[in-house]
Amino acid sequence: MKLFTRRAARPEEEEEQEPMTTATTTTMTPARTVTAFLTAFGQGDVATALSVVDESVRVNLYATGLRGAGKAELGQFLVDTATAFPDLRLTVRRTIEAGPVVTVELKFEGTQAADYLGAINQEKHLDVDQAWRFTVEGDRIAGVDAYWCQNQLYRRLAVKRLDQISLV
Amino acid sequence: MITTESRPTAAASEALVRAFFDAYRRQDVDTMTDLCSDNADFSYVPYEVWGKQRVLRGDGKVKTVGKTIWTGLVNSFPDLTNTVHTVDANDAGDVVVTCDIGGTQQLAWGLAEPRGKGFSEPHLFVFHVDDAGEIDRISAYWDGAGINRQLGHLEVD
Repeated sequence: MKLFTRRAARPEEEEEQEPMTTATTTTMTPARTVTAFLTAFGQGDVATALSVVDESVRVNLYATGLRGAGKAELGQFLVDTATAFPDLRLTVRRTIEAGPVVTVELKFEGTQAADYLGAINQEKHLDVDQAWRFTVEGDRIAGVDAYWCQNQLYRRLAVKRLDQISLV
Repeated sequence: MITTESRPTAAASEALVRAFFDAYRRQDVDTMTDLCSDNADFSYVPYEVWGKQRVLRGDGKVKTVGKTIWTGLVNSFPDLTNTVHTVDANDAGDVVVTCDIGGTQQLAWGLAEPRGKGFSEPHLFVFHVDDAGEIDRISAYWDGAGINRQLGHLEVD
């Protein structure tokens, strides 16, 4: 029984591939803008991730204590994360688009290779579920609010006390 | 043939979720659960209590795990309240809420002994409203370390 018919690809009929690794898309919806950011972040390509972030972005990374921060602080966080977890994997579980607001529920995974948010490197594997809420204006991210539990993160990195993060 | 669209609008879904937070502010757990479908899914992602042989997680159903957690929270924090900052809904039934939840601890909560200290912590809730106009999924995210620091509980476990 023939289950499907393979058709010879013809260039003029090939579907346009949606770019997932760069920020240079033709029609940027809020969700596509966010996807471009997260895809680049997941690949450790901080420059490309920041290319879709507005210069006046307002950033709240609650678990890090970073509130009301800007693009430079966001960029430093992305660099620190990509450095500490060179095998970083972001697995998107759900993307919700509501007008200019895009919320992404994702799993953050990686193996620690450098100190991170005060926790010394013990080469522990990290997996933490997170939610990132983006506000998109035009084709740029104008607001970032990230939520995750730092207790879960520290637990997986073998930190014992919140007042002695660097002790094991 | 005349057909009717049964899916609630974004405005209706937003109103339902705002009613949920109004009930939460009144500590009316019965109304909170009544706004949810019988089989509504529940996930309080940071809720994780590590024992010697097992880990308790805040995953399950609203009318079992959710109701138990909400009741426990109200008991441990008798002045538990919330302040809703943003509500974003779409016509697919998704509703995302940012809010602060806070209260003063009077009884043990998880591994945190009561010290009479209070907390206020940013939360993000993700709801889904079904075609019947009931909440059929709740997920929530927050920084448990932020709460524990405010309560004076500094052990990670």
